[in-house]
Amino acid sequence: MNFLVAPLTIASIAGGFAALISIVDKHVNDYGDVTININSDKKNLDVRGGDSLLTTLSSEGIFIPSACGGRGSCGACKCKIVTDVGPHLPTEVPYLTKEEMGDNIRLACQIKVKKDLELQIPDELFNVKQFIGRVEKIVDLTHDIKEVLIDIGEETIDFDAGAYVQLVVPPYGKIKDINQRAYSMSSRPSDKSHIEMLIRLVPGGIATTWVHTLLKEGDKVDVIGPFGDFRKSETNSAMICVAGGSGMAPFKSILYDMFEKNDTQREVWYFFGARTEKDLFYLQELRDLQEKWSNFHFVPALSEPDTTGKWQGETGLITDVLDRYLKEVIGDKEREGYLCGSPGMINACNNVFTENGMDLDKIYYDSFA
Amino acid sequence: MKKTPEILSAERNMVPGVITAEGFLGDDDLSLSEIITRDECEMRALRLEFNVVADILEHIMAEGEKGLGEPITIEDRWLVQVLEAKGALPCPFTHDGLYKKTAAEITCLKSRETILVTELSLHLLRQHHFLQGKGSSFRLEPSKLGVIFCE
Amino acid sequence: MAPDIHPFTLLLASIFTSNILLANFLGMCSFISISKDMTSSNGLGMAVTGVLTITGMINWVVLKYVLVPLDLLYLRFIVFIVVIAATVQVLEMVIDRISPTLYMALGIFLPLITVNCAILGVSLFMEIRNYTFIQTTFFSLGSGLGWWMAIMALSAIQKKIANAPVPAGLKGPGITLITIGFMAMAFIGFSGMLIVQ
Repeated sequence: MNFLVAPLTIASIAGGFAALISIVDKHVNDYGDVTININSDKKNLDVRGGDSLLTTLSSEGIFIPSACGGRGSCGACKCKIVTDVGPHLPTEVPYLTKEEMGDNIRLACQIKVKKDLELQIPDELFNVKQFIGRVEKIVDLTHDIKEVLIDIGEETIDFDAGAYVQLVVPPYGKIKDINQRAYSMSSRPSDKSHIEMLIRLVPGGIATTWVHTLLKEGDKVDVIGPFGDFRKSETNSAMICVAGGSGMAPFKSILYDMFEKNDTQREVWYFFGARTEKDLFYLQELRDLQEKWSNFHFVPALSEPDTTGKWQGETGLITDVLDRYLKEVIGDKEREGYLCGSPGMINACNNVFTENGMDLDKIYYDSFA
Repeated sequence: MKKTPEILSAERNMVPGVITAEGFLGDDDLSLSEIITRDECEMRALRLEFNVVADILEHIMAEGEKGLGEPITIEDRWLVQVLEAKGALPCPFTHDGLYKKTAAEITCLKSRETILVTELSLHLLRQHHFLQGKGSSFRLEPSKLGVIFCE
Repeated sequence: MAPDIHPFTLLLASIFTSNILLANFLGMCSFISISKDMTSSNGLGMAVTGVLTITGMINWVVLKYVLVPLDLLYLRFIVFIVVIAATVQVLEMVIDRISPTLYMALGIFLPLITVNCAILGVSLFMEIRNYTFIQTTFFSLGSGLGWWMAIMALSAIQKKIANAPVPAGLKGPGITLITIGFMAMAFIGFSGMLIVQ
């Protein structure tokens, strides 16, 4: 029996310490109940600590924008935390400017809720809801852009034209985690029970691959919104809008909204750039709108029209067409620029605008890139 | 060999669905460090230096961006088309920056060989000597990098 | 038989004349790597001191009341390591809770304290030299403080060297090891002043 003494001793010492570690772990990782005070008592939440601020808030129905689903890879979940939660983590620093850091701006997905917190978020976020919808219709607009219409049933969504929503992408294929990606709404604010998006397939993209290969009519989808502050101004300046491909989405919403509300006194120009005929869509709809709305001018332009000569519209790079129109047709009145597209295209158009005398602070872009 | 936390967290980020739909490791059976070592050897054998290759590819991409999404001929040697999507991708090696979703298809006019380079894959090549696993659509195969020397 | 040395002498001896790092060359790996940054060095020094003192004391108790009576002295290596590992695990959780920044700064070196030879070394010294409980406590505490002082000194020197014209081949580990060598030589001057066993 003597030979048992050694193993038993080691086992009990190891076991004893393992028990100690479990007890400490439970104690140390149990942050108890905490209170989150939002916008100086506008809303108070009693929650259990331990999770990230982003997750904790969303489980209580407060949604802070996140283009990456809380992974720390997009920087969209900025909020101001008044309480001291320690120095900025290395995971937050790449997304914050020095001013923001000095102003106590943190990334909600990186801050763990450990004690009572007071934070400030834009009031509009109280309007954000999570919707469980059903895909009502999917239309192929071009070879790589789909129009997706979602019915949110009994719920209603209240937004200003130009806003965006976050589409929740469930695990699929080899992908094991839930993801979220942002898309502008192309539907009109007057249609409160539907959400429509224009989604272009991006090679290797997590959400767009799912939408283009797996999403079917009748499927259930989760959508969170509305977010964003891209919208038309309240002035009377001429609106010069430029977008190509799925960038059309916020403009579709804004243009039809204006027309519906009889907001038709302003001069509105919409420049739609594409490469070939097969990259264009909504041509007839926008031409019809142009017929009905005398102040609205639709200018599609192809940079590589096919050689049959069927294309009667403008040709050339959209920036060249824009430049020509600014100089020869639109002229020197009060103008505002509205851009939706890739950073390269936005830069190029910005240059055209400023060379034609437009003020940089009168140029607006859809900025969730 | 024991993995450092940096390599471990990078590997976790390279799995499909975390940053990109396909992930960065392709069908390679090797671990991340082994992939990097193997590719470093291949580059050495082909007498290619990471920084030199990265500089040339960066130059070609910058010139290609002037096409605003259309194919454009550069220096009479390459045909380049640079496409951009909205948003940014983080480098899987944590805290190493965000990269625009820019993808460039570079074709050598003479040999008709093509490679696909993204801003992120360029950073991975230059900074981390990581060319992505075999089988990944965005892998920068060392033998194909010869396209940059095309005349 | 326990040596007849006053605990306070042991404290001073373990910090200066018999420095665990510079005289006994134990605990080098984290010493060389973390000393690049002063704040992390400070944090790690504190952590190592804490682990050393606690494990020294626990190991003495386990040695005297479990291993010796049960005639299991040959198990001391395994048992000491188990105690050290558990202590470091608990310390990791506490540091993560109190200061996530320090936790991230220390990175892999926090769990690496477990295999830091200085920790096991001090426990084994305690066993070989037959220290009493009080002597063990002061010796472990002193060894920790000595390790902390050495890593702070090295990180201060490295800060100065950072601006010096070090030849390219020696930059980094090369010049660090040479510096440690010089520090050790300086501390040899103390040797023999105070006895430890």
